[in-house]
Amino acid sequence: MNAPTSDTTERSERAGRPAATPRGPAPARRRRPADLRTWGAFALLTAPMLIGLGIFKYVAIGWSFLLSLSNAHGTIALGQWVGLDNYRQLLSDDTFRSSLGKILLFTVFIVPVTFVVSLGLALLVNRVRRGRAVVRTAFLIPTAVSYVAASLVWKMCLFNGLPAGIANMVGGWFGMDSVPWLQTTDPPLYWIVLVTLRLWLQVGFYMVLFLAGLQAIPKEIDEAAALDGATGFRKLMRITLPMLRNTSVAVLMLQFIAAFQAFDEFYNLFSSGLSGTATAPVQTPLVYLYNTSMGSQNYGLGSAGAFVLTALIVAVTLIQGRLTGFGKGEE
Amino acid sequence: MTTLFKRLRPGARGLLVGVLTVLFLTPFYLMLRNALMDTKGLTSPEWTWWPAQMHWENFTALFSDPTLHMGQALGNSLLIAGITAPLSTLLASAAGYAFARIPVPGRGALLALVIATLMIPGSVTFVPTFVVVGSMGGVNTLWGVIVPGLFNPFAVLLFRNFYLQFPAEIEEAGRLDGLGWLGLYRRIALPSSGAMLASLGALAFIDSWNAFLWPLVIGQDPSSWTAQIALSTFLTSQTINLPGLFAGAVVTIAPLVAMFLIAQRYIVEGIATTGLKG
Amino acid sequence: MSAHRPQLSRRGFLGGSLLFVAGAAVGCSTSPTGGDSSGAKTTLNVWSHAYGEAGTQQALTRYAEAFTKANPDIAVKVTWTPGDYGAKLNSALLTDGAPDVFEIGDFSQAMARRGQLAALDDVYGSAKSDFSQGNLDYMTVDGKLYGVKMIDDVMMLYYRKSALAKAGINPPTTFDELAAAAKALTTKNTKGLFVGNDGLGDTPALAVLSNGGDLVTNGKVVFDSPQAAEAVAALKRLADDQSLLLGFTTDWWDPSALIQNVVPMQWCGLWAMPAIKTALGDDFGVLPWPAFKAGGSPVLRVGGWTACVNAKGKHVDAAKKFVQWLWVDQTDLQKDWSESYGFHVPPRASVAAAADKLAQGAAKETVELAAKYGKHNPNTWDSEVSTPFSAAAKKIVSGQGDAAQLLSDAAKQAQTALDKQHT
Repeated sequence: MNAPTSDTTERSERAGRPAATPRGPAPARRRRPADLRTWGAFALLTAPMLIGLGIFKYVAIGWSFLLSLSNAHGTIALGQWVGLDNYRQLLSDDTFRSSLGKILLFTVFIVPVTFVVSLGLALLVNRVRRGRAVVRTAFLIPTAVSYVAASLVWKMCLFNGLPAGIANMVGGWFGMDSVPWLQTTDPPLYWIVLVTLRLWLQVGFYMVLFLAGLQAIPKEIDEAAALDGATGFRKLMRITLPMLRNTSVAVLMLQFIAAFQAFDEFYNLFSSGLSGTATAPVQTPLVYLYNTSMGSQNYGLGSAGAFVLTALIVAVTLIQGRLTGFGKGEE
Repeated sequence: MTTLFKRLRPGARGLLVGVLTVLFLTPFYLMLRNALMDTKGLTSPEWTWWPAQMHWENFTALFSDPTLHMGQALGNSLLIAGITAPLSTLLASAAGYAFARIPVPGRGALLALVIATLMIPGSVTFVPTFVVVGSMGGVNTLWGVIVPGLFNPFAVLLFRNFYLQFPAEIEEAGRLDGLGWLGLYRRIALPSSGAMLASLGALAFIDSWNAFLWPLVIGQDPSSWTAQIALSTFLTSQTINLPGLFAGAVVTIAPLVAMFLIAQRYIVEGIATTGLKG
Repeated sequence: MSAHRPQLSRRGFLGGSLLFVAGAAVGCSTSPTGGDSSGAKTTLNVWSHAYGEAGTQQALTRYAEAFTKANPDIAVKVTWTPGDYGAKLNSALLTDGAPDVFEIGDFSQAMARRGQLAALDDVYGSAKSDFSQGNLDYMTVDGKLYGVKMIDDVMMLYYRKSALAKAGINPPTTFDELAAAAKALTTKNTKGLFVGNDGLGDTPALAVLSNGGDLVTNGKVVFDSPQAAEAVAALKRLADDQSLLLGFTTDWWDPSALIQNVVPMQWCGLWAMPAIKTALGDDFGVLPWPAFKAGGSPVLRVGGWTACVNAKGKHVDAAKKFVQWLWVDQTDLQKDWSESYGFHVPPRASVAAAADKLAQGAAKETVELAAKYGKHNPNTWDSEVSTPFSAAAKKIVSGQGDAAQLLSDAAKQAQTALDKQHT
């Protein structure tokens, strides 16, 4: 994402201007390339952002890389160098490896489902003539709810393990026995809880994205398609989806990153007071990192985990960017 | 617009929309219903649609019970989101303007450094951030919760794109009036970005209000809890008062739901901007 | 997005956010704490996890006030901490706002070795002999004492006498009988036994101990012994029979499931006995976790909370004074803490002897059982050592692999973590 963008920046700035003239908008002729006042203004406007990102991204990552090479138990001070011990321990830890597997499973499941449902909702809402605003609000408003509040409703009310839980009650009407939704591992019923919760919270957001994309499709293309007799599913595949390509790529990317960072609902659904989440049927990498650094106070191992995860996400982002040409069409 | 759903008869489509709308609103209804019941009614296997007697005291108990810290937590959340949203948006707009308009050498390289941080998702690096903020003494402080969330490279990019499309003639007029770069930004560019500021500010407010992992990591003392942490604490607590829990949920989501209903246009606009330029 | 929209003025935007901030500042209230800080030179920050019993927070605040009355130059701020106490405490300990005095559930020698705890030998004074040798050993690291036990908590099995009698079942004395009873008591809408929402709770450790196994002996992780593997593997039967209550609203340490008639048998603690007695009268009995089989031993768990002083705190001396005053000297307050809210066993023998509420009925029975069969976790059993064990047990009961193999892998991991406690 990084390289293409800076390329385009420079290309667009070079374009149409003699190399000798200073860059920037028209008035540049009256100014020297970068006088003190220009520098001052630039520095003043960008300094807070640059310093902030510098400290909380670059310094943080650098420091924690050093920490990941240290034995840092109950301290965040550097000192006891242990080489790659933390990485060795991390990669041989079954819990960490299985958390990677689980999050991958979660991602390959939640991303397409969210994609299809939010696209479907957008197409549906786009067809609604009367009361569209009301319907759109109804689908969008769950976005206002936090994962904590949603976890509460899902855990204590909808998927409560007792016969009084809504899912069990509805099941009871059809003669099904009550089941503990979150604790049943065979079959893994907890996925139903996790997926429905995330769907409810997220689809409204992506629906709005698709709606914006749909409304940007020129009327003529639509009409031309109608003349050609393209309708229904064929039209969706041939016309609508290709026109939504940019939106789709953006949605997939956002969903992937969001899914990979899942923590809130896993923590709140499975953690129970003093006992933490050690016996939860599914742990995400972030839950693992939380337990390692906040629970066991092993900040060296936690830093190593953060580093491995960051590297994974950067790699996937770069590959996805290369494959889809994402970020190239920006200006 | 002809789509898949044209095949459905309008009646069937209406029914589908209706059913989905009800489904999406059900959790809100459940929250409210449970918040107004008593524990006995709530755990009873007999279903009641609406409490025969409303237990409003569940709400007052939230604020009168000193162990819950609910009033303080809501105050903290309001303070944190109230500072984060305008400040982070303003910082991004200032940087975005400079990157779009002010020509200095090395600008491209600096921008690349900003954009590179986009690939590092915030919550994955909570351990490194904790290490940095912790060594600066920021654990259990409000600034420790707020400051790391003020720098949004994505918003910088959005603002930069926005100011790149800003008509140069308007700025030219300002320059003739003797404005420098800072003056141009403050007097002309910033006032024209109201809708953009509002959209991104609204999204930043929502994100900040609903943030969980970072406040959980950095704000361990009850005095620095946000509303989400307070709620999560009751949810995972040793003893549980169910109706109180739901009342707590209602109280923590009410401000945002109200904001959604009032400022929905800006929020929708913000989401559309976020995704399309992303 | 374009510049042609109806514009929200910058002033309006900023003004609005200032209003938010102002409103938030008004909304802030002072945190509820005990002790009067007026005139005091030092303010001690004392952390406690949130006890579930009514009146406990008020009691602790009252003790803190009494301490300040006796020591006017030291005020005490009690921080009551619900939720994930361990994680919250750990990160607080890294900061300037770290507590001066805090309680910990399972005492961990690693914290002492890392220099996080102050040695408290001088705090005990002549009262040292009044504490049980077991408790003293538990908190001794390299010859020094690093904590004062506040309460001993006994954990055991509660059962509804009427429910068992109705089903014609005798109180179980072996694991087989327990599993059979749990199955027999399970109906379409109620389960037979509650050990924890995750279906495990303490049971893996109980299984190991009830079959002559152990968790850690002399610095060696031994939960992968054959008898341990046999007993943990047998827990799968409870899961397979579907006789365990899972996903209840509160976890095993809260007696709600038993009181609300959701289960007839629950693993819980002595602390819950007053609440259970109030709700059920005499219709309950207590049992140890039964011996795994003939030749094994019944077992109760003894845990509790230990008062520690932050070695890196600013007021170590004042903190020691507080710990000494409350948890060594004030025997009447210790008695109040142990029997007025939930029931706990006072660690001081003389206080325990005077605790008359523990000297009758089921409480007396429990205390006697604990003296006979009580086991506490080793002080090396911190979360890095125990997590591999719990995770392996979870896999075993859900049928994801061979018990001996999983436990042996977990033991290796735990041993690595345990060895690091000494560095």
